[in-house]
Amino acid sequence: MAETLLLKRILRSSRVLATRDLSFSYGKHSVFKNFNLDVPEGQVCLITGINGVGKSTLLRLIAGVLKPASGKIVFSERLAKSPKRKIGFISDMLSLYESLTVAQGIDFHKDIYGLHQIDDSLIRHTKIGYSQKIKELSLGQRTIYHLSLILSLEPEILLIDEVIHSIDAYLRKLFLDQLIQLMSQRRITVVMVNLNFRDIEHLVERVILLKSGEIAVDEEIHSLKAKVKKIISTRPPTCLSVLSQNNFSDHAEFYVYPFSEALRDDIEGEIVDLDLTEIVAAFIGGEYA
Amino acid sequence: MNKFFNIKVDAKSALPIYEQVKRSIKLAIFSGRLEDGDQVRSIRELSLKLRINPNTIIKVYSQLEAEGFLISRPGAGYFVKLDRKKMQREKHGLFEELTTEYVAKMLELGYSMDELIHEIRKYGRNSSFEKNLKEFESAGY
Repeated sequence: MAETLLLKRILRSSRVLATRDLSFSYGKHSVFKNFNLDVPEGQVCLITGINGVGKSTLLRLIAGVLKPASGKIVFSERLAKSPKRKIGFISDMLSLYESLTVAQGIDFHKDIYGLHQIDDSLIRHTKIGYSQKIKELSLGQRTIYHLSLILSLEPEILLIDEVIHSIDAYLRKLFLDQLIQLMSQRRITVVMVNLNFRDIEHLVERVILLKSGEIAVDEEIHSLKAKVKKIISTRPPTCLSVLSQNNFSDHAEFYVYPFSEALRDDIEGEIVDLDLTEIVAAFIGGEYA
Repeated sequence: MNKFFNIKVDAKSALPIYEQVKRSIKLAIFSGRLEDGDQVRSIRELSLKLRINPNTIIKVYSQLEAEGFLISRPGAGYFVKLDRKKMQREKHGLFEELTTEYVAKMLELGYSMDELIHEIRKYGRNSSFEKNLKEFESAGY
């Protein structure tokens, strides 16, 4: 039953959030200028790009933690009534009432949002003690604690900053399992910022690469994989633009975009398929070159 | 035969993930690992097991349903539907695909067609090869 419902919801998915001519700067340093992005309901969207490009800033703008200088963030009608409650923002930069104990933190959260109880099964899977102070928790424990609070509000959008790869393998698995479960129960939209993709590669549906405050690449994952290739050859391909390259004594590896199958026969050298980590490294490497 | 088969998802393959999963399920049906009427894993369970997006599994199941290999029973899940004619046709397609791949590779290595045919005949008579193949299959490939 749940699965048929899920399928129906996918068929009529619409936009859940959008940024409209968003501009933001830190002092004189402009991060975004008239930035536009649309995210459909239920999509798992990955935002990447070099350090300092504004990935986390974008999440914080969407979360409402930062205010744009101009432009706005539009939410679907259903969300617009209480966006704060329906958007879960997970980041290691947030203050979580540090001097409270875990038990007090949970009670406080219940009071604010008028919840009778919250599901603390995730917390019970970790070694978090309820009498521990929040500031004493490890980054991984904080993340799981925070996730439990956020999930109790049944968020429609989850914004996940680069926390998941700085936590240990067990807690990361716990976190991702919870995310997958949630995604299979209802149409939750996920926007995440990441530089490390091994764990999340098969969850991502869309990849957005930011460059100088703009969207440089915006592709669905399978089309991105079809378009970015590594060519092992003695000279650069003539018909394709090279993102970055690794040079060896007698040949080089050329990362190319956008590749198309029609060009396959014209290309000299071996054409190699790539995973998401290599693809992003190729784009980012090109920016540093 | 063991119903618990392994589904390998290769991040480096150009074949989209949903195609890879779809192919594994079809292979399980063609090889008899999954039989007519067998229930396949729920979307939730398979996505957790493979750690892939549940939307991808939904896509796999609905495409397999459209192609006539699965049927969905609302409230119960997805079940294998065996259409032998369709299966034979697809199985043959797979046979041709893999044969083409093998022959092309061997020709590239410089073997002649006669040598290939000779080699394959030899394997046909070799019972230890069949034993190896069985072990290979039961290892979940």
